[in-house]
Formats: sequence, C-alpha cells, structure tokens
Amino acid sequence: MSETAQHATSETTVIDTDVHITVEEETVAEYMDEPYRSSITESPHPIFPSSSWDQRMGGKIDDHFSTFTSPDDLLAFQKEFDIEYPIINTFEPLGKFSQPDLAVNLMQAYNDLLFDRFLDDHDFLGLASIATQKPHKAAEELDRVGDEDQIVGVYVGTSGEYPPLGDPEYDVIFQAAEDNDLPMVYHGNGDEFLFDFPMHNKGFNNYFEVQTLGHPWQQMATMSSLIGEGVPEKFPDLDFIFLEAGIGWVPYMMHRMNKIYHMRRSEVPLLEKSPEEYIRDSFYFGSQPLGEPNNPADMKRIVETIGADNLMFATDYPHWDFDHVEELDKYLRNYFTEDERKKVLYETPVKAFNLPL
Amino acid sequence: MGEHVIATQDELSNGDRKLVEVEGREIAVFHVNGEYHAYTNWCAHQAGPVCEGKLTGTSDADFDRDSLTVELDWCKEGEVLNCPWHGWEYDVTDGTCLSKEKVQLPSHSIKVENGEVILTL
Repeated sequence: MSETAQHATSETTVIDTDVHITVEEETVAEYMDEPYRSSITESPHPIFPSSSWDQRMGGKIDDHFSTFTSPDDLLAFQKEFDIEYPIINTFEPLGKFSQPDLAVNLMQAYNDLLFDRFLDDHDFLGLASIATQKPHKAAEELDRVGDEDQIVGVYVGTSGEYPPLGDPEYDVIFQAAEDNDLPMVYHGNGDEFLFDFPMHNKGFNNYFEVQTLGHPWQQMATMSSLIGEGVPEKFPDLDFIFLEAGIGWVPYMMHRMNKIYHMRRSEVPLLEKSPEEYIRDSFYFGSQPLGEPNNPADMKRIVETIGADNLMFATDYPHWDFDHVEELDKYLRNYFTEDERKKVLYETPVKAFNLPL
Repeated sequence: MGEHVIATQDELSNGDRKLVEVEGREIAVFHVNGEYHAYTNWCAHQAGPVCEGKLTGTSDADFDRDSLTVELDWCKEGEVLNCPWHGWEYDVTDGTCLSKEKVQLPSHSIKVENGEVILTL
C-alpha cells in the first residue's frame, strides 16, 4: 500500500463495517473435517464455484485481495486508512455451495479460523459466517460462537441462498441471532450473480452490466423477502444490516414497498406498520460502493433520506471496488453536521452491531 | 519553484517510469515514445496511487448504423495509465481522463538536458 495524504478522519474514530479477510482454500481446509477437507484439497476440479468474468480487466485494476491474509495486513490497512475498528468477515458466500454438508463444515471451519488466526490474539471485531442450507445447523453454530464478545453479527452472503432469505424456514436462524444479540448482516456479491440470476449472467456481454445489477438485485430480493414475510415483526429485537450494494436502492425500496403494502396489506397481515417504519427502526446500511452522481447534491438528498441513524461507513477493503474513507466523508463534512458525521462513522454502527466499545 | 534532476535518460527505456518524492510530493515521470511526462501520484477519483498503475492499451468502438455492426479496436497500447485502485484510465501522454471530461492528472513540466531528466516544480 502506498502513502496517502492524511485526511480529516485521522481525528475521528471510524468503524469500517465491511472488511474482508482472504482465506485460501488450502488454509480453510486445515480447519475442516473429513471427508470435506479432502474435497477441497484433493479434488481435481475446483470446489469453490466461480464465474468466468474478468473482474480486474486483464490487470488494469490491482489485486489487493489475494495478499490480504494476515492480522499484520489488517493492522497495516488500519494505519493507512485511519480505521480504528474494522469489522472483519471471511467473505466467502456459502450459499453457492451445492453440497449442504460441505457448506455446513465450511461454515464451522471459517469461524474456527476466524478465532484462531484473527480474534484470539487481537482485539478485532468479526462476523460469524453461516451456511443457510441447513438452517438448524446455522442456528447451532450461532449458539456455539455467538456469546464471544468479538463476534458482533451473523454474516450471510445474499447470493445462492434458496429459498429467499426471509422465508420461515430461516426462523430458527433469526431466533438464534436474536437470542445471541447479533444482527443479521447481508452481503451482496458480484461474481456470484450467476447463482441467483443465471439467465442474465449468461445473457450479459460484459461485467459492467453484471456489477451494476448484481449486488442491488440480491439485496432488494432479501429486503423484500424479510419485510414480506414479516421477519421484523416476528423478531422485534433483531436488527438487519445490508452491505455492498451502496445506498441509492434503499429510498426506492422503502417507498415502493410502502405503496405496495397499502395495496396488498391483506397478503402480509403480520405487518403492523409500513415497510419504511420497519426499515427506519431496525435496518442499517453500509455506504460502499457509494454511487458517483455528476451533481454532488444528488448524493446529499440520498444520504438525508436514509439518515444518519441508519447509515454506516464501509470500505469493502481489499476488494477491487473498495471505497476510501474520503468518498463518504467528503459529503458528510460538506453537507452534514459534525454530530451527524460522528453517527455515521461511529455511533450508528456501535448501535447496529451492539459493539462492546 | 525550482528544477530537480529526477532521472537520467539512460534509466528510462521506452515504457519505463520513475516515481520520486520532490518537495514532499510523490511525482512520477514516464518515458513514452521519446517523450517524458510527469504527474502527481494522485488519482482524481479517490486519491489512489495512479502513477503506480499498469500502462496498457484500451478499447475503442465504432458503430456502423447501416450494417448494425460494432467495430472494436484495441488502441493506444502503452499509453493508458490505469489507477490500480479502481481502474480509472488516463492518457499518459497528456494526463486526460478517458471516462470523465475536464478531469486531468496534475502534470508537471519536464525537460531533458545533457542526458538528465529535469522536473520543474
């Protein structure tokens, strides 16, 4: 990483709600049981599915990801970006795995690895990964790791998950998350677009089209399912966090679901208030990747609509579309009060993740 | 304001660059087809280390409305500087951004005298 100029956040405590640890397949295999370990290490075919999109455009964009593997890498990132509290996750979306038992074993292995290599000897904060293929196994996993202070949320990739993530099949997961005071954290993914939208993945001719839609489509589907199934009503103490789709989709969904709720209330009788009220009460949003309007005032209006009580900063480092802190902070400093800015950079994530700070 | 010898001609073959720190600023000089260009190592997008990115070509396209065909052309080989953070493309010969009008890398005057590459800052 190169030297960068000191920025305004150097005097502000910053929580980064989305930092990915890269875990090599051979490394996580060390934490797995047989026969799953050998499925990773001995299979002649890649067990970890991937699309064939060239996300880095033949090297035009650097690969920060594959080398970001150790606590020392995290510490160097914290120093360069002035991030006091990175909330880390082991990234790999587990919903894409075809073999449910393999996914469950990977879930346990990622969490064991997270403790062993990152949390036990450092004061990092982390998210517990779950595989939703067997919901009761995910619930058991949350009971296993959820009472550790450094575990501050339940990490779910919103790609490849079936049925949609508000389905009553997952109530046992919501129950375990609520019992362990952990928010559900939903993370969109680009490369895994093919699992949710295979026809579009095949039909599009360039990654521009896939990346534009992948994350927001996944997050919209998840939000629609959560609200439509009445999950916030069934689990009133549970919070829901959305990462890596930016924020422009959020006002659209609030207002659209309000409209449809008023037309079709009898279809969703669990709901006792408007979708917007549930979202404002218990949904939170990471800022990355922040949109880039030609007129900055357009972003001001989006941030105002969501509000400082529900907006949090995220870099998504070390992924290739990460946001520097300044990307959001330039709007916060220019358009909002210092109190609002501190909420977005620190106080709102403390509340959303129930952080022990 | 002053002149700084930041490289020798021998150091920089065609396509080479040298990143130096002058008066507290990171500046890179690029040798492209016999000409030298110097820019501050600062991307207009998110202040990334643009001068450390790859020099590549890029794609251009023309649509023929009569035949309904698109002709693709890989062009400017070695003349496109890509910011390593997010891939913003700049023409290394003049510092202009290829995806956004009026965006320009901060450039600096360069001259060559007696085999020395001299930056004026």
